[in-house]
Amino acid sequence: MPTGDGMFRRVVRDAGGWTAALAAITLTGALAELLLPAVLGVAVDAALTGGSRWWPAAVCALVAVLVATDTLADLASGYGAARATARLRERLLRHLFALDVRAARRHPVGDLVGRLVGQAADAGQAGTTVVLGAIALLPPLGSVVALTLIEPALGVTLLAGLVLLAGLMRAFVTDASAATAGYQRALNSIAGRLLESLAGARTIAAAGTHRREAQRVLAALPELGANGRRGWELLARASARTAAVAPLLQLGVVAVGGYALTAGWLTPGQLVSAVRYAAIGAGLGAVLAGLNRLVRSRSGAARVAEVLAYPVPTDGDRRLPAGRGALRLTAVSVYADDGRPVLDGVDLTVPAGVTVAVVGPSGAGKSTLAAVAGRLHDPDSGEVCLDGVPLPRLRPDELRRAVGYAFDRPALVGATVHDAIGLALPRDEAAPPADGSSAAPAVRRAAEAAAVADVVDRLPAGFRTPLADTPLSGGEAQRLGLARAFAGADRLLILDDATSSLDTVTEHRIARAVTGRPGERTRLVVTHRAATAAAADLVAWLDGGRLRALAPHRRLWADPAYRAVFRTDGAPR
Amino acid sequence: MSRRNARVPHRETRVSTGAGVRRATWGALRARRPAVTRLVGWSVVEALPALLSGALVARAVDAGFLAGRLNVGLGWLGLLAGAVLIGAVATGRTYRSLGAVVEPFRDDLAGRVVRAALRDATRVGGRADTASAARLTHQVELVRDTFAGLLMVTRGFLFAAGAALLGLVALDPVMAALVAAPLVVGLAVFLAALPAMAGQQRRYVRAGEELGRAAATALSGHRDVRACGATERVVADVGRRVADQAAAERTLARMSAVRSLSLGLGGWLPLAVLLLAAPWLVDRGLTAGAVLGALIYVSTGLQPALHALVQGLGGGGLRYVVTLDRILRTCPDDEPDPPPAAPSAAPSDQPADGPPSARDASPAAPRDASPAAARIHRLTFRYGAAARPVLADVTLTLPPGEHLAVVGASGAGKSTLAALLSGLLVPQAGTVLLGGVPVATAPPAALARLRVLVPQEAYVFTGSLADNLRYLRPEADDDTVAAAVEVLGARTLVARLGGLGGTVTPDAISAGERQLLAAVRAYLSPAPLVILDEATCHLDPAAEATVEDAFARRPGTLVVIAHRISSAVRARRVLVVDGERPVTGTHEELLGLSATYRELVGHWTDHPTPAPQH
Repeated sequence: MPTGDGMFRRVVRDAGGWTAALAAITLTGALAELLLPAVLGVAVDAALTGGSRWWPAAVCALVAVLVATDTLADLASGYGAARATARLRERLLRHLFALDVRAARRHPVGDLVGRLVGQAADAGQAGTTVVLGAIALLPPLGSVVALTLIEPALGVTLLAGLVLLAGLMRAFVTDASAATAGYQRALNSIAGRLLESLAGARTIAAAGTHRREAQRVLAALPELGANGRRGWELLARASARTAAVAPLLQLGVVAVGGYALTAGWLTPGQLVSAVRYAAIGAGLGAVLAGLNRLVRSRSGAARVAEVLAYPVPTDGDRRLPAGRGALRLTAVSVYADDGRPVLDGVDLTVPAGVTVAVVGPSGAGKSTLAAVAGRLHDPDSGEVCLDGVPLPRLRPDELRRAVGYAFDRPALVGATVHDAIGLALPRDEAAPPADGSSAAPAVRRAAEAAAVADVVDRLPAGFRTPLADTPLSGGEAQRLGLARAFAGADRLLILDDATSSLDTVTEHRIARAVTGRPGERTRLVVTHRAATAAAADLVAWLDGGRLRALAPHRRLWADPAYRAVFRTDGAPR
Repeated sequence: MSRRNARVPHRETRVSTGAGVRRATWGALRARRPAVTRLVGWSVVEALPALLSGALVARAVDAGFLAGRLNVGLGWLGLLAGAVLIGAVATGRTYRSLGAVVEPFRDDLAGRVVRAALRDATRVGGRADTASAARLTHQVELVRDTFAGLLMVTRGFLFAAGAALLGLVALDPVMAALVAAPLVVGLAVFLAALPAMAGQQRRYVRAGEELGRAAATALSGHRDVRACGATERVVADVGRRVADQAAAERTLARMSAVRSLSLGLGGWLPLAVLLLAAPWLVDRGLTAGAVLGALIYVSTGLQPALHALVQGLGGGGLRYVVTLDRILRTCPDDEPDPPPAAPSAAPSDQPADGPPSARDASPAAPRDASPAAARIHRLTFRYGAAARPVLADVTLTLPPGEHLAVVGASGAGKSTLAALLSGLLVPQAGTVLLGGVPVATAPPAALARLRVLVPQEAYVFTGSLADNLRYLRPEADDDTVAAAVEVLGARTLVARLGGLGGTVTPDAISAGERQLLAAVRAYLSPAPLVILDEATCHLDPAAEATVEDAFARRPGTLVVIAHRISSAVRARRVLVVDGERPVTGTHEELLGLSATYRELVGHWTDHPTPAPQH
C-alpha cells in the first residue's frame, strides 16, 4: 500500500514523460538565465570598445532559449499535472466505490469530496513542484555565486539585503491575520443572517418584507467595510516597506559596483552583469515561497494515500443456484471501532419467501444485521449465505441483482427522478423510453408499488424532472427509495426502517408491497412499528446484539419486554 | 415535493458576457471618482523612481564612476535613493486609495447578492437557494480581491512602463523606439488572446464545479450505489467529469503557454534589440552610462511591469471577469418597485375595488356588505405544463369567522392549497378573493394585511424577542404583546428567553419553541384571515390545542392545515384533500361521505401521538 511519499513518487511517475520533459526544459532555461547577464556584460563591453559583434548575437540566442523554455515549461507542467491528477482521481474514485460501506463511512462525504477534488489536484502537481522547486532555486543561488565571483563585496551586499527583505515579509503575515479575522467575523455574520432569512422564506414572502430583511441582513456591512479598510492600511504599510527595500537593494549593488568601477576592478559591462544578477538574486524570496507548493502537494498526496490504503473486499465468481432467497446467518459477529460487539454471534435462518420483521431497541444491531444480510459489508466473523452460497463467493453483479435495499434516509442518485428509481435496474431497463412516454415500464411499476407515481406525475416534467430541482420531504424521498428497491430485488428485499417517515395512510397503502404475499421474494424489514411486525410472518427480536427470539408477533406479544420495544422506541423518533 | 419545487425559469440570458462586467466595472470606478483620482495621483508619484532610475544611473556612471569621481557618482545614486523613498510612500498611499475604491464596490455586490437571494426565495413560486451564502462569502470576496489586483497591475503597468519609456526617450529617442516596438507587439498578442483565455478560464471553473457536484452526489450515495450494484455506472459518470476537467486543464496550459510567449516577446525582445543595436548606437555617440541606463529601464522598469500585467490579467483578471459575470447573471439588478400599495387594501374600505368579473358573480354568491373571508373559484393548479394537476376546478367559500381544517395524506396538495390561498402561488386557472380582493393583483403589503400564513418551518431571526414578535405589527404595544403571549401559552418560554428585551437565536431554541413564537407573531398580525400550514407540528398535542383554540377565538377566519386528526375534530368544517377534487363537510358528515377521511381518522386514532417530524 502506498504511503504518503510513495504516493507522491507515484504521482510524479504518473505524469509520465511530461515530468522529464519539464525537468529538461526548466534546466535549460535556468542555465540560459544564469548565463545571460555574464554574456550581456561581455556584449556591452564589446559594443563600447568595438569588440566582437558575435556577443550580441549570443545574447539574442540566449533570449530565444529563455522565451522558448518559458513557453514550453508552461505547457509541460500543465499537461503533466492534468494527466497525473486525472489518473489519481480515477484511481481514488474506483477505490472509494470498491470500499465497503463501513470503510467509506469512516469519513464524512465532504472530506472524501475534498480529497477527490481538492487534494488530488494538489497531489497532481507533484511532478511540477519537485522540478520547479529544485530547478527554480538555481538562478537565484547561482547569481549570488556569480556576483561573488565578479566582486565579493557585491555578493555580501545582496545577501544582507535579502535577509532584510525576508524579515519585512514575515512581519506582514502576522499583522494581517488579525485584521483578516475581524473581516471574516463580519462576513460570516452577514452570511449567517442571510441563511436565517432564507430558512424563513415562506414567512417573509407571505409578509411581503423582503426589503426589510435585506436591510437586516446587510446591517453588518459598515463593520465589514471598516475591517476591510484596516486590512488595506496594513497592506499599505507593508507594501511601502517592500517598495523601498527591493530597489534600494539593487541601488546598493550599483553603488558598490560603481566604487569598483572607479577603482578599475570592474568594466562597465561587468556592472551591467552585476545589476542583473542582483535582480535575479532578489527573486530568491519568491522562489522560497514557492516551496509551499511542494509542501502542499506532498500533504495532498498523503491524504489521498490514506484512503487508498483501506483494503477493499474481495469478490467471488460463483452464480446463485435456483432458489427464492433463503437467507442464513451463522455465528455472525460485528464489532464497533472500539471493539464493542454490535452483533454478537447471531444465528438466523430465514426460509425462502418469508417476511421477517427485525425489531429491537435503539442500538440493538438492527441496521447492522440488515447491512451484513445483503453484504453492504462483511461481518467480522461468521458467515452469511443466500440460497446456500456464502455472499463473498458470489459474483458482485449476481449478488446485486438478487438483493435490494431501501433505507430510512435514502440518497437518491441520478440526473432525473427516473434515473434515481432505475438505479438498481440493468441499464437498458433503466433508460427512459425514447417514444416520449413518461417512464419505462419497470420504473413506473416500481413507483406505483411505492405509492409515489402520483407524486412524480405532478412534478413539472414528471419522471424526467431533474433531481436537483426536486427538493423532497423525508417521506417522499423514502417512497422513491422504496420504488428503487422494488425495481431491483429478485430474491431478497431488505428494508432498513424504510417507511419511518411515511404518514400512516401512505404506509398502509404500500403495506402489500412491503410485507408481500407468501411465495414472493424473501423480505427482511427493520421496523419500529408494531403494525409492521404484526403483518410479518416472523419477527427477529434483537437485543444488545443478540437474537432474543425468532417467532410470530402474536406469540411474542404476550411478553411485556417485547411490547416495551414498541412503547419506548415506536412513539417519539 | 410538490409545494417546494415550482421553479420558474427566471435567469435572464444575457447575450454578451463582457458587456455586463465592463459596465459594472466602469460603474464602480465612476461612482468613486475622488478615490480613483487620488489613486491615479499617487501612482504618478510612485512612478518617479521608474522615470529617473536609468537616467540617474547613466549620469552616475558617466559623470561619476567612469570619470573617476566616486562622490559625484554616489551623489546621483543618492538622489535616486531619495526618489525611491518618495515612491515607496506613494505606494503606501495608493493602497489606501485602493481600499476606498474596492470596499464600496464589495458593498454594492454584497447588497446585490443578498437582495437577489431574498427576492428569489420570496418570489411567486420561488425557492430559497442556500448557495447564495457561499456566493456571498466566496464569489464576492474573490471579486473584491481580484478587482483590487486588476486595478493595481493595470495602473502599475501604465505608469511604470510609461515612465520607463519616457526615461528612454530622454536618453535617446531612437533607442526608445527600438525598445517600444517589440513591447507593443507582445502586448498586442496578449490582449488579442485575452478573450479566448477568459472563455477557457470559465470552462475550467465550470468543469471543476461540475466535478465537485457530481462527486458529492455520488459519494453521499455511496451506500445506496453499492446496494444497487450501480458502481460501474456511477464511477463512469463521475469519471467523465474527471476527464472533462483534465481536458479543460490542458486547454488552460496551452493558454498559459501563449501568455508566456507574449511575455517573452514583450519583455525579452527589447533587451535583444537593444544589444544588437548597441554597437551602432555607440558609434552614434551613446555613452557607456546611457547603455547601462537603457538596460536598467528595460530590465527593472519594462520587464517587471509587463510581467506583472500579464500574470495579473491572465490570472486574477480572468477570475475577476468570470466570477463577476456569474454574480451579475445569478443576481440580476433590483427590479423596479412594485406598484405602490393602495393606502389601505382592507376589504371593508374598498368594496368598489372588488373584482367586477362576471365569472365571480354567480347567483350562489350574492354581493353583500361583508364579502366572504375567502373565496376560491374554479381553481386549477399544476406544477408544470406536462404535470398532472394538483388541484382541478376547486371552488370553496369561507364565510367570515369560519374555522376550517384541511386534511389529507402527505403530498396530497394541502400546502399547495395554503400557498394558493395566500397568493404565494399563481394558479393556471381560477381566482382567489380574500375579503373581496383578488390576490393575483394585490401587492405583497396589501396581502399581508389581508391574511397571515404560518408555515411549518417557523421563522425566527437573531435579534430581540420583541422584534421577532412584532414582525407583522411593529406598532403593537407591550401589553398587547404580553396578552398574546399569555393566550398562546408562551409565557414560560418568553420568560426563559429573558422577556421581550431578551435576544433570541434560532439555533438556540427547539423547533417547537420556534413554532410557538411564530404563532404569537401571527396572532398579533392585523390580518383577519389566519392560515396555519402544519404550523404546530412540533408542539405537543396540548400546546397545539392551546394555540388552535386561541386562533379560533381570535376575531376573523382560521384555516388549519392539519397535522393531527384532533385539529379536524376541533374545526367547524373539514376539507379532505385527496386527488384533484377536495370534499368538505363537518367531521360527522365526512365520516359518512369520504372513505379517505375514514381511513385518515382510523389511522390517526390508532396512533394518538404520531412521530413528530424532525
